[in-house]
Amino acid sequence: MSAPDRSPTVSGGEPAGAAPVSPLEPWPATVRWQSISHDQIWVELIRLSMTLAVLLFGTAVGWAWTGHWLFGTALGLVVLIGVLRVIGIVRAVRAWGYAERENDLLVRHGLLVRRLSIVPYARMQFVDVSAGPLERAFDLATVQLHTAAAATDARVPGLRPAEASRLRDRLTALGEDRAEGL
Amino acid sequence: MTAAAGPAPSNGRPDPDPTTGQFGAEPADRPVPAPQPGQFGPEPTDRPVPAPQPGQFGPEPTPPPGEAFDPTDAGTPTDDAPAPAPAPAPAVPDAPVPSDAPVPAVPGVPVPVTTGVVHALAGGVISGPAGQPVHPPPGGPHVGVGPTVEPRQRLHPLSPALQGAKSLVVVIAGLSWSTLSRVGFGWFAVMVAVLALGATILAVISWYNTGYHVVGRELRVYEGLLWRRTRAIPLERLQAVEVVRPLLAQLTGLAELRLEVVGGGKTEAPLAYLTVADATALRARLLALAGGVTAPARANTPESTTTDAAPAPAPAGRPLHAVRNQHLLISQLLTPQAIMLPLGVAFVTTQFLSEGSWSFVAVASTLTAMAGVVLQPIRRVLDDWAFRIARDDEVLRIHKGLLETRAQTVPLNRVQTVAVTWPLLWRFKGWLRLRLEVAGYSAGESDDRNRPDRLLPVGDLPTGEMIVAEVLPGVRLADLPMAPPPPRARWLNPLSRARLGSGLADEVFAARSGLLTRNLALVPYARIQSVRVVQGPLQRRLRLATVHADTAGGAGAAAKDRDLAEAWALAAELTDRAHAARTRQ
Repeated sequence: MSAPDRSPTVSGGEPAGAAPVSPLEPWPATVRWQSISHDQIWVELIRLSMTLAVLLFGTAVGWAWTGHWLFGTALGLVVLIGVLRVIGIVRAVRAWGYAERENDLLVRHGLLVRRLSIVPYARMQFVDVSAGPLERAFDLATVQLHTAAAATDARVPGLRPAEASRLRDRLTALGEDRAEGL
Repeated sequence: MTAAAGPAPSNGRPDPDPTTGQFGAEPADRPVPAPQPGQFGPEPTDRPVPAPQPGQFGPEPTPPPGEAFDPTDAGTPTDDAPAPAPAPAPAVPDAPVPSDAPVPAVPGVPVPVTTGVVHALAGGVISGPAGQPVHPPPGGPHVGVGPTVEPRQRLHPLSPALQGAKSLVVVIAGLSWSTLSRVGFGWFAVMVAVLALGATILAVISWYNTGYHVVGRELRVYEGLLWRRTRAIPLERLQAVEVVRPLLAQLTGLAELRLEVVGGGKTEAPLAYLTVADATALRARLLALAGGVTAPARANTPESTTTDAAPAPAPAGRPLHAVRNQHLLISQLLTPQAIMLPLGVAFVTTQFLSEGSWSFVAVASTLTAMAGVVLQPIRRVLDDWAFRIARDDEVLRIHKGLLETRAQTVPLNRVQTVAVTWPLLWRFKGWLRLRLEVAGYSAGESDDRNRPDRLLPVGDLPTGEMIVAEVLPGVRLADLPMAPPPPRARWLNPLSRARLGSGLADEVFAARSGLLTRNLALVPYARIQSVRVVQGPLQRRLRLATVHADTAGGAGAAAKDRDLAEAWALAAELTDRAHAARTRQ
C-alpha cells in the first residue's frame, strides 16, 4: 500500500466503540486491520453535496417563491441532515476497514448498522475492481469480492490503484489456489 | 477488470479431458464460421466471463463471451451463415422474447461469470440448422455417439403444437371475462383462434430453429430466429436435472428436460419437448458427463461419453419415503387460505344476494378471483401429489405431480440448505415440511414451482428426521444443539425470544426462528460461502449481534441477537469449521 494514510492497526480506538468488546474489533490479537484512504471522505462528501445542492436549491426556490414556512422548515431539515451526514461520512470512512487473513478476507463497515463480512478466499467467484470518475479524480478504486452467495457483502472502496490491483491479484491468486467451488 | 475465473472454468475447459480430446480431433465436421473478433465492434471484452478458449475443441469455434448480445445489432445479421429461413418473420413477440428475457439482466450481476452460458449474436456466429444434418429425434436414443461430434438434434415435432396449446390458455386468460362479455362469444372465439394460430406458427418457426447437442462436456442449445443464441452449458456446473411432464405432454408421451446451472438467473435450456425415452436418456447422459459432480476430474473417464455409462441409469434407487395423498390434502386444508375460503364465499354470496345482481361476468370474475386465492394450496396438492423420494447413490430422486409429473434429480453434494418449517396449523398434527435449496435455483426465478425445493411436503417428525439424516448425514433433527439468545434479547423479540436459537452441530450450523410458523435452517459447514456479523443500533445498546451464514441460493441461516462476545466466537467457529469442512472434502 503506497498511500501515506495507512494506519496499520486501529486497536480498539474505534470512533464510538463504546462497548466493552468493540463491535468492529473482534480479534485484535490476530487481525491486522487496514483502513481505507481518507480521500474517500472527499469522494463521498462531493457525492453528498451534489444531492444536497439539488435539495437545497429546490427548497430555497420554493421558499423564496411562496414564502411558506414549510419550505423554510424543509430547508433547515436538509441542512441539518447534511451536517449529520457529513459527520457520519467522516466517521464511517474512518471505520471502514479490511484485513487479509490466511484463509479469508475480512471487511467491516457501517456505523449505525455495523457489518463485518468474513469471506474465505476459496469461495471467491470473481473480483471486481472499479473506479468511477469521481474516484479517479482522487486516485482511488473500489475492490469488490463476489461469491456464489448473493448476500455476501465484501466491498472495499477507497483504495489506491496500486493497492487495489495488489489486493485483486492477491485475491485472485489465493482464490485459484484454494478454489473449491460450491 | 480481471476475471478471477471461478473454480469450475479452470477445471472445466483446459483440463486434459479425454472427451474433449476426442472431439477436438475432428476437423470440419460442422463447418461453423469462426467468430471474427472485430465483428462485434465495441464489444467490451472485460466482462468477467470465463472466456471460452478458442481452439479448445479443435477447430470448433466458440462464440464470444457474454456481451455479444446487442439488440441494436440484431436487425443486421451478417451473412456468413446460411440463414435458415430467409423470410425474416416480422412478428417476433414469441420465441426470442421470453427466452431472451434474462439477457438484459446479465450485466451488473455476477451471473455471466457463474453461468458460463454464452449468448451469441444473430447470424454472425452460429450457422443455421438448415445446413446441419438433423437426426429425427423420435425413437432415437443417443446410443450411437461415436468420437465425432454428434449432429444437432431437433426437439420433438409435436412440440410446437404443445406450445400452441399452452399459449391458448395464456390467450384466453389475457382476453379475460370482460372481453368475452363485450364482444360476444363468436368474436371471442375468433380472436382466440387467431391469436393461438399465430402463436403456433411462431412456435413452429422457433422449433425449426432450435437444436441441441452435446459437445465434449458441454450441452449446446441453439435457438432463435432473429436473435440467434447459442448457449453452451458446461456440465460440470450442472446442479440438478429434472424431467417435467405437463398434462398435455403426458397425453402425447412427451417430456420437458430442465437443467439447473450454478448462478443461472433462471432455468437454463428447458428442452421442450422430447420423448420420455429421449429425455431420460439425455438426463442420464448429462448426469454422467457432469460426473458425480464432486470431483470433475474423476469423471473424465472415456466411458463418460457413452449413454448408459455410470451412475444414473437405475430409475428408482432406494425408496425413502412416499407421502400419503390423504395427508397432503389435509395439510393443505390446514392452510390459512383454505380456512378462510368458506368465510370469503359466505361474504360474497351475501353480497350478491343483497344486491340481487347476478350478471355472468360478475359471477365469473368473482369465481376467478376466489380461485386465485386458493390457487396456492390447490397447486401444492397438484404439484406434490403422489410424492415419492428415493435415494440413488449420491443423488436424490423426487417424483411427484398429478397433472404435471416431475422427476427431479438433485445431487446430494449440491444441497446448500435444508429448511424445516412447522406451520402453525399443522402443529397439533405434529407435521412439518422440509425444503432444500440448491445453488442453481436462484431466488430470482419468478415461477417457484420449478425449484426442487420440496423435500417433504408434509410429514411427521420421524419421517423428517429420517430424510434429513439421508440428505445431511450425521444430522439428527431431534437433538440438535440449540441455545436461545441471552434474556436481554427479549427487548427486541418480546414474544419470540424463547423460539430463537442457534447451535453448532457436528456437520451443520442450525438456526431456528419464528413464533407462529417455526423455522429451522440447517447449513452444512462445507456450504458456507461467507460469514457476516451485523449489529444494528438497538443491538449495539443491548450488546447483541446477528451472525449470518450465507449460502449460494437460499437465505442461509442467521443466528439472531446473540451476545456480542458469543457472536464473535460463533463467527470464528463457523469460519474455522467451514474451512475444515472444505479442506476435508
